[in-house]
Amino acid sequence: MNLATSAPVLEARKLTKCFPGVVALNEVTFDLRPGEIHALCGENGAGKSTLIKTLSGIHPFGSYEGEIRVNGQPAQFTTLKDAEAAGLAVIYQELALVEEMSVAENIFLGNEPRRGPWIDWDASYAQAARLLAQFQIQIDPDLKVRDLGVGQKQLVEIVKALGKKSRILILDEPTAALAESEVEILLRILRDLRASGVACIYISHKLGEVKAIADRITVLRDGASISTFDTASVEIPDIIRHMVGREIKELFPRDRNTPVGETLLSVRNLEVAPDSSSPSRLRDVSFDVRAGEVLGIGGLMGAGRSELLLHLFGAWGERRAGEVQLAATADPNPDPQDSIQRGLVMVTDDRKRFGLHLDQPIGFNLSLSSLAQVTHLGLVDEARETQVNQKLFDALRVKAPGLDVPVGGLSGGNQQKVVIGKALMTQPRIVFLDEPTRGIDVGAKLEVYQLINRLTAEGKAVVLVSSELPELMGMSDRIVMLHEGQVGGTFLPDEFNQESLLAAAMGRPKPTSAH
Amino acid sequence: MTATASPTSPAPTRTPLSATAIRELTMPAMLIAIWILFAVLSPAFLSPRNLSMLMIELSVTATLAVGVLLVLLPGHTDLSVGAGAGLLGGIASVLIFKHSWPAPAALALSLVVGVALYCGMGWFIVKNRIQAFIITLGGMLAFKGAFWLVIQSTTIPVVRGGEQNLYSALTTFYLPPTVGLALAAGVIAALAVLAIRSRKRRQSVGAHVPSFEEAYLKTFVAGQAILLVVLVCNQYQGVPLAFLILCAVAAVVHVLTQHTPFGRYLYAIGGNEEAAVVSGVPTKKVVIVAFTLLGSIVAITGFMATAYAGASTTTVGDLMELDAIAACVIGGTSLKGGRGTVLGALFGALIMASLLNGMTLLAVSPELKFIVRGVVLAFAVWMDVKLGRR
Repeated sequence: MNLATSAPVLEARKLTKCFPGVVALNEVTFDLRPGEIHALCGENGAGKSTLIKTLSGIHPFGSYEGEIRVNGQPAQFTTLKDAEAAGLAVIYQELALVEEMSVAENIFLGNEPRRGPWIDWDASYAQAARLLAQFQIQIDPDLKVRDLGVGQKQLVEIVKALGKKSRILILDEPTAALAESEVEILLRILRDLRASGVACIYISHKLGEVKAIADRITVLRDGASISTFDTASVEIPDIIRHMVGREIKELFPRDRNTPVGETLLSVRNLEVAPDSSSPSRLRDVSFDVRAGEVLGIGGLMGAGRSELLLHLFGAWGERRAGEVQLAATADPNPDPQDSIQRGLVMVTDDRKRFGLHLDQPIGFNLSLSSLAQVTHLGLVDEARETQVNQKLFDALRVKAPGLDVPVGGLSGGNQQKVVIGKALMTQPRIVFLDEPTRGIDVGAKLEVYQLINRLTAEGKAVVLVSSELPELMGMSDRIVMLHEGQVGGTFLPDEFNQESLLAAAMGRPKPTSAH
Repeated sequence: MTATASPTSPAPTRTPLSATAIRELTMPAMLIAIWILFAVLSPAFLSPRNLSMLMIELSVTATLAVGVLLVLLPGHTDLSVGAGAGLLGGIASVLIFKHSWPAPAALALSLVVGVALYCGMGWFIVKNRIQAFIITLGGMLAFKGAFWLVIQSTTIPVVRGGEQNLYSALTTFYLPPTVGLALAAGVIAALAVLAIRSRKRRQSVGAHVPSFEEAYLKTFVAGQAILLVVLVCNQYQGVPLAFLILCAVAAVVHVLTQHTPFGRYLYAIGGNEEAAVVSGVPTKKVVIVAFTLLGSIVAITGFMATAYAGASTTTVGDLMELDAIAACVIGGTSLKGGRGTVLGALFGALIMASLLNGMTLLAVSPELKFIVRGVVLAFAVWMDVKLGRR
């Protein structure tokens, strides 16, 4: 099929969508051809999610101006169901799975195979197993979703959409939570689908991935469609330039000239299990964290990266063996409150679950860990609190009308700034950052990197967990790769390269300098 | 995230003023409608004597509601407070009537028992991660049994030989009119001073200060309300002691929930417990303290309820836990936790107490009373969901 000439399956013509006080989309024009993967790129707040919501009927017909056409016919969706009936399926950033149900139940939720009035459970499980096998996903359909990792959940979500036999697939940040190996599975699935004629809108902040998978790329900025490129004819720096409207010279501006100071955290032969009845998840882990440095921790999904940080912070697991010294004193049985008091703070990877009180205002979230600083005679001094919050709010450049706005309405990048701000307000000496740039745009990523530099320049230590190897290599002064709960290798900057890091993550020994 | 909030808009717009106003005025409107209805059906409803009775009844319901709010905010619940109130009132009665204890000592011991029981329940709930619903359901049954054992399933008066004591005074003592007025003046002056000081403090650190008119109006309305209550009370015998107890408990819980780290933590635990833990909130300690405070409030409520009945009998405290929870919920408290205020709980309690008082006055049958209270509860929550979630 000649892509360039085939009629679009989905088309947006001069789409304009306003919210009170904001023009979220400004005459956006966009088209999706059959059997193509079309990437949407843009910073947070550029209008990607609004465009998707408009295309899929969540912002109903009548609430926007302009026209949407499906297969050349004008479409007037008033609900998501209408859009789904027309063959669209949307997979959102926020997972829409029922934690207490099995994988198979989730896949067929609302769409259960029946025998008469009864749900045909045998058929459900058989079909689910077949779908999973078809995409070579190794997940048991009997498992409860709550027992899956974030990445596996994302794959289940995708299979669920595919179970509806949609012809147009919209994926919003599908790989944000996936490890490299899972990204590969997803990209393979998408290529297979493309070959079978399914068209796909792909939103991602990971431009390398976009470049690898997309046929065309449309860049949105400030609610307007800036331009559409054929992927082959454009390079990543060009895309970034269009996205931010300015040149970003360095993707990873790590300043490695900061002097390294005393050891702040020392871990020796650590062995940790989830609880007293389970086998150990972390074994024989040893490393030091020194003032002024960034220690990177990498590994595949399930290698125990987050668990390691959570344990040291005091929020996970039971220590079986090993010693931990925090600020030169033994830390045998940590809990988060105690850790924070001793200068160790953590920004978790799941900001909605562990990081934020979404219904509460920004100010409530920022000061939650540091109320002691603004409490006088047992009462919170609200004036002083506002003052401290405002300072941080300004310093982090959170884009919101004010401190009293609920955090839930902010974009991912701004939410992340609030989580980081909450951690920094505790005046820590060691900051654990677990996937701090997941799901946030290039501009906000850069701000996080600059913040890391600032922290280390002030003599603080940062422990950075990331599943993106370029980020890990770009920002770390040392990298520890974990493999199934054990240290697979430790690397210094002159040893950083993707192959050897990955080899360590997969449990193969460090190659003894072959060349 | 709701479909209406756009993640792409840098400035999430707030609910238009009119919508918030409607939401905040629903409860007062409902209350006024109920009052007008009863006033029309029975002129005695607005008589000073009846209003005074209503205030004492309200004091019992609302004090307990404010206490229950403390455990609803962090997402727990307590079904045992009605039985607990009966038990603690019963212990004090038995000590006075059968063992000739002085009333203050009897009340103090019973209060200590209440604090210990609820501290223990709270501890048990958080240490073993068992749902509060189950533990307090067990507490409700056990307390009921213990209550009947303590009073031998008989009727134990709160005083010996018909004289007055501190116990009976809880619902029979009224402030002399002049003292009531003086107290009102003092409270209004204190409110004004606090408002001015808060403005100055905010200005000094450059924080946003609400307009002077707004602040003045708020203080003025509050002052007028206080004055009106005292004047109405003075028409009969003065401000009831029970009402002062309610005001004191409500003020303490209001300050705790709105102006202390403990209060922040209650909301944080109810809103997202996992995030609260990671933020360094001492979640277990906070919940145990909430239950412990509730224990003291249950005891105080039990004393007032028993004193109002004149004696400890097997029915004191019946269904009070549900009235308290209903009052909180009508007042906008979420049973999932993280949302609710003292003022809301007070309004909810006032609605429940007014309904009961008015229907009793009209000699409505007990059957119908239950049905009406149930329907009003469901209706109020329905309204809240309609207006609140849009």
